[in-house]
Amino acid sequence: MTREEITTEILTIFRSEFEIEHPGLDDDLRETYEFDSVDAIELLIGIERFLKSELTHDEKKSAMGIRTINQIVDYVEGLVRVREGGAHA
Amino acid sequence: MKSAMFFPAKPFKPLLDVVVTLLLWGYFTFGFFLLFSPRYAMVLLRRADREAAFQRLNQRFFHGFFRLLRLITPGVTLNIRDEVRTIRSSIIVCNHLSYLDPILLISLFEKQKTIVKSAFFNVPVFGRILRQSGYIPSQAGDGDASQMIQNIENIGEYLASGGNVFIFPEGTRSRSGRLGPFNKGAFSIARYCRAPIQCLLIRDTGRLFVPGRFRFNTCVPVTIDVERIGAFDPDYGDPAFRLSTLIHEIRGLYRKRLAGG
Repeated sequence: MTREEITTEILTIFRSEFEIEHPGLDDDLRETYEFDSVDAIELLIGIERFLKSELTHDEKKSAMGIRTINQIVDYVEGLVRVREGGAHA
Repeated sequence: MKSAMFFPAKPFKPLLDVVVTLLLWGYFTFGFFLLFSPRYAMVLLRRADREAAFQRLNQRFFHGFFRLLRLITPGVTLNIRDEVRTIRSSIIVCNHLSYLDPILLISLFEKQKTIVKSAFFNVPVFGRILRQSGYIPSQAGDGDASQMIQNIENIGEYLASGGNVFIFPEGTRSRSGRLGPFNKGAFSIARYCRAPIQCLLIRDTGRLFVPGRFRFNTCVPVTIDVERIGAFDPDYGDPAFRLSTLIHEIRGLYRKRLAGG
């Protein structure tokens, strides 16, 4: 899965779930869009659907400090790597 | 509910304001330590249902506060509509006029949670009670992310068990009585939990305990009224559902009612 594909999916989630159109990739989501803890949990559900894989509690916990779309994409890339690494092991 | 019916002469008002305020603060401090702290301590020793037991004690403590308030405060009437007391398993949103509002809502529901300013969780004793009651800090601190996830994930189960979560979407008290902008947190939680939303309107608490003043404002006719002005059970799964539309509609309802519509 490429970074572009992940970015596209995340932007789709933001559009459909949070009614946030075209956010800047480095915008502070909390300050600019009132993106709160509940939204973060809803986003994680969207990411689980996208990855077709449940997140562990530690993985969810590490997402709570994320502020920007780019950081979310980094986070999802990390999740993909872990899952692909696990699949290849 | 009945009210204290007599109105003393105007010269006594400042004195009565002070006396009523001291008695009510006395209930908050001495009443808590003498009457309730042993019961909270007993509950703390329990392993099962501790959270529910704390919420029940909170309800009784504040119910006692409002009984005392009604008894000793000239001019006050409490009018809690029947349909309010029977609300269960809902996200409750409410306008916010005074510090009395959250404790009034706690006094109405045996199973209740709310979102509380994070700073209050650091206050000795009070913070411990908030935590043990399962109330939710408004922001996750650096070390609290895990707890925050758990709190939010548990809300669905809590609502299913008959509990209510009440939230003031304005986030802060209105100084002017006018409705402030709504934060979306309450509605996001409702959507996350697929929960119905009950809209309560409180009137006049801000006249009795005016924001920015320490003393209760007695000897003026005040009718604290709590009324349900709307109930929403949206189809959150509908592709056409928009949270912003729902928030707009609910805020419009409040504006209309506050304008006398």
